[in-house]
Amino acid sequence: MSRKLLLEHIDKPGIRGLEAYRANGGYRSVEKALKSMSPEAVLEEVKKSGLRGRGGAGFPTGMKWSFLAKPEGVPRYLVVNADESEPGTFKDRYLMEKIPHLLIEGIIPSCFAMGANTSYIYIRGEYFYVARILEQAIAEAYAAGWLGKNILGSGFDLDVHVHTGAGAYICGEETALLESLEGKRGNPRIKPPFPAVKGLYGRPTVVNNVETICAVVPIVNDGGEEYAKIGVGRSTGTKLISAGGHINKPGVYEIELGVPVEEFLNSDEYCGGVSGGRPLKACIPGGSSVPILPAELLFRTAKFETRLMTYESLSDGGFQTGSMLGSGGFYVFNDTACIVRSTWNHSRFYHHESCGQCSPCREGTGWMEKILYRFEHGLARTDDIDLLWDVQRRIEGNTICPFGDAAAWPVAAAIRHFRDEFEYHATHPTKVKDPKHFEKEPMKRVERSYAG
Amino acid sequence: MEHANRPHNATEGVAPFIFTEEALAECRTIIGRYPADHSKSAMLPLLHIAQTENKGWLSVPAMDAVAKLLQIQYIEVYEVATFYSMYNLHPMGKHVLEVCHTVPCMLRGADDVVAHIEKRLGIKPGGTTEDGLFSLKTVECLGSCGTAPMLQCGAKYHEHLTPEKVDDLIEKLRMQPERDNYTDR
Repeated sequence: MSRKLLLEHIDKPGIRGLEAYRANGGYRSVEKALKSMSPEAVLEEVKKSGLRGRGGAGFPTGMKWSFLAKPEGVPRYLVVNADESEPGTFKDRYLMEKIPHLLIEGIIPSCFAMGANTSYIYIRGEYFYVARILEQAIAEAYAAGWLGKNILGSGFDLDVHVHTGAGAYICGEETALLESLEGKRGNPRIKPPFPAVKGLYGRPTVVNNVETICAVVPIVNDGGEEYAKIGVGRSTGTKLISAGGHINKPGVYEIELGVPVEEFLNSDEYCGGVSGGRPLKACIPGGSSVPILPAELLFRTAKFETRLMTYESLSDGGFQTGSMLGSGGFYVFNDTACIVRSTWNHSRFYHHESCGQCSPCREGTGWMEKILYRFEHGLARTDDIDLLWDVQRRIEGNTICPFGDAAAWPVAAAIRHFRDEFEYHATHPTKVKDPKHFEKEPMKRVERSYAG
Repeated sequence: MEHANRPHNATEGVAPFIFTEEALAECRTIIGRYPADHSKSAMLPLLHIAQTENKGWLSVPAMDAVAKLLQIQYIEVYEVATFYSMYNLHPMGKHVLEVCHTVPCMLRGADDVVAHIEKRLGIKPGGTTEDGLFSLKTVECLGSCGTAPMLQCGAKYHEHLTPEKVDDLIEKLRMQPERDNYTDR
């Protein structure tokens, strides 16, 4: 049984309210940080913990905080990124809905460490009812003196506000989020300057994912070293994985980083195996933006090492034979799924969500969607595969923000690992016109060898 | 594209928009959350309120009212309203069924849900029934992949959908007097 740091109390009755949350040890980290630690000491614990950003990029949190500029007399901000929109990811919603005080608790020592007196939780507009739950919890926290002026007599003031977005995936990118929070279109900014120097209203700002901020609570409570004991190598602590797709038990699972992928997929403690008793075809382990892994590369790397749920192991082999842990949106395809159809679906998503600033992304995502539409509807020729490859190659690295890369990677990986399926679509136009073609007659898969 | 001259975009002859006292009070609370010289930050939440007050869509007068409240140029509101997918720029049905059709939902049968609603209501995604009761929209990932397939109607998520559940929901909504809004006002 994996250790639970974030979800330990999630099933306790009434845990959404302050009373039950407090009765289960809630807000201990605030007492500890504000009464017995200095801001530098809190930062030091976070650095020692090895905590890495849980939103997708995996950047060390302590380092991010230490970059924060501290000019005299200029307010600093912590902005919590709750704009969870990466397809396949729903862990932050689960946390905020079930145990909203955990996030509010995490914000307090985090802001204390940064010297920030205002924090905004930018939550996606669709999660309106979750925003209401958070607002309720914030009101309780104010009433009990956990927020507001002079918290616990420490002289530290903190205000927390919820800000609702309005349905734009791009606002999950930190600078687009800041633009949006300023009441503008969500167009990402050119970096540098980084938000740590010029963020919200041009002032020093840290943007962190919900889960990252929640993880600060056990780090302050038990110490960074204790947290770093969990996990493997540079992947420390626990991580929430949102499991979905063709599995028997979809849901949010907290794992100790380092659980073998095979165990995560097949054990009853987690996903409970591939649904329908069908063979596994592929898996996207970290949200729609990361490369898809075919079955033969999911449990073992190309070097025949056991693949683990860690940042390093999942990216072992680079993009040739690896993927990424990303945001932990783990979704599985059995043999009735069509990779071309899902890649078309992903491209449609990216085309819809591109902010339109950079032409490679604005135009490229549209072209990819159109070419993939042709494949899926029996209108493509075999040499369109090379055309598609060419388009995706020209997006990656040529845009202001990583959205372009995120749009290109799934297409590249699909062609790399499932070229035979694209060829099948080009050569069997009448068969693939039926949208359920592989559901009716799964395609015979030839396991490829990736050795050497 | 949405703001070419179409009947619903006219500035003359359209219903004027005035915030109710109650809505105005909520707007002022929201504006108070941001530094005094950055009240434009309240734009997105305010547009949500305006949309709720305006029967689920943002007319030009509604957007202009937000601009006046925030003391900014009209265009600053228009450019934002056209960027975000939750703002409707033309009149919508009373109940908007937004079905998620991104891959994790697709793998668990979202296409069948869309097809079922299409057949049941006789409309395609983007359409509204003749009686103005229902609109159907397909939307991208709503963060409910573990409970797929799902749809959103107003602020509510309806999860683990089956054709029977969709039918029940449609019948329930047909009898419901109030409109479903993103905000719970």
